[in-house]
Amino acid sequence: MSRHDGRSTSLRRRPSRTVPALIVGILLLATGVTLVWLTIARLMNGTWPTVLQGPRDLLTGLTWNSPGVWGIGAGAVVVGLILLLCAIVPGAFSALPVRGSDGSDQAPVQEQETVMTRRAVAHLARARCGGIDGVSSATATATSKRVHLNVSTNLRETGDLQTRITESVRERLEAAGLDPLPRVSATVHSKD
Amino acid sequence: MRQTAGTLNRTWLTILGIIVLVAGIAALLQASGELHSLANTAPSSDRVVTSDLHSATSPQWVAVVVLLAGVIVGLLGLLWMLAQIPRKNAADAYRLHHDGAQGFTVCDPSVLATAVENQINTLPGVVTSSALLRGTATDPDLTLKVTVNDRADVQDVIARIRTSTLPDLAKALETTLQKSRLQIDVSGRTQSSGTVVHSSGTVLQ
Repeated sequence: MSRHDGRSTSLRRRPSRTVPALIVGILLLATGVTLVWLTIARLMNGTWPTVLQGPRDLLTGLTWNSPGVWGIGAGAVVVGLILLLCAIVPGAFSALPVRGSDGSDQAPVQEQETVMTRRAVAHLARARCGGIDGVSSATATATSKRVHLNVSTNLRETGDLQTRITESVRERLEAAGLDPLPRVSATVHSKD
Repeated sequence: MRQTAGTLNRTWLTILGIIVLVAGIAALLQASGELHSLANTAPSSDRVVTSDLHSATSPQWVAVVVLLAGVIVGLLGLLWMLAQIPRKNAADAYRLHHDGAQGFTVCDPSVLATAVENQINTLPGVVTSSALLRGTATDPDLTLKVTVNDRADVQDVIARIRTSTLPDLAKALETTLQKSRLQIDVSGRTQSSGTVVHSSGTVLQ
């Protein structure tokens, strides 16, 4: 199950679907262990374990149009759709692309990639926001397309604070080289 | 920096999703009687199990087949779970010699990675860094993670890495780097007061 050929892979990637993969992996392992345990018991004792008696009776009495088969079919459709959605829905990129600085194309490299993690962008935005006069505290969240700041202030009249914050943060992100530049928005709350 | 099993997960989730979805649709069609009219399967009023289950599962070979199926399914599940562990997949030792006639010259890529880290750690605004080399001595790939403080001039750090660190590494390996990937992270500690003291990059051993 080698996943890579020893080469580097892009740092800007989609979610790797670890949670659904782990859940299905655990279910497969549990199924395998159960089957092996049942078979070993059958080979050692000469008969299948008595725990199978219930499912066997249930299967024997089942007809194709019984509610049990409808339930199993509907459940399988739902599980199949969930698995397909987990695989197909792309999810957000883990990082934002950063443009190269002037003259950096002279570096002895055939292919270059520079990214900034979403968390780093949020830290950068929060730090810049924290330096603006009138801001008491700020939190920031970043996606690959937008940065949002939640700001609290002691000012009674917030005036143009929101504009100053978004412009200042946008300048900082542009200076950092984010390309394309994410949309910056801010919500200002006055402390009463 | 570390590589995950994204492609593997997407592939297997798609395959299993299609199998389970098709099985579910087939069960619903069979239960409604549609499959009987379409593909001439058993009528929906018939029993699911028509033969005696006890006698069908009594032969020894049935138990062996179930055992093999259990081992295969369990192993696949275990391998898939193990594949979720993020791996560095670092390069093996770089062979710097052309042929063995004049002797061998090998270099541990971690030595070069440490040298790269030490150089980057001296740059203004850099808090810490980690470097990882992949590929081969003639086709090296460099992956860098550089953590800067929130006041750092990110473009300046990138420019310095590209104009000094990368050429130095390429010079040491006497080849052009195939790929260079740089991930910028920002330290969560806000440098809001006092003087920012840049990391000296001293390695304590």
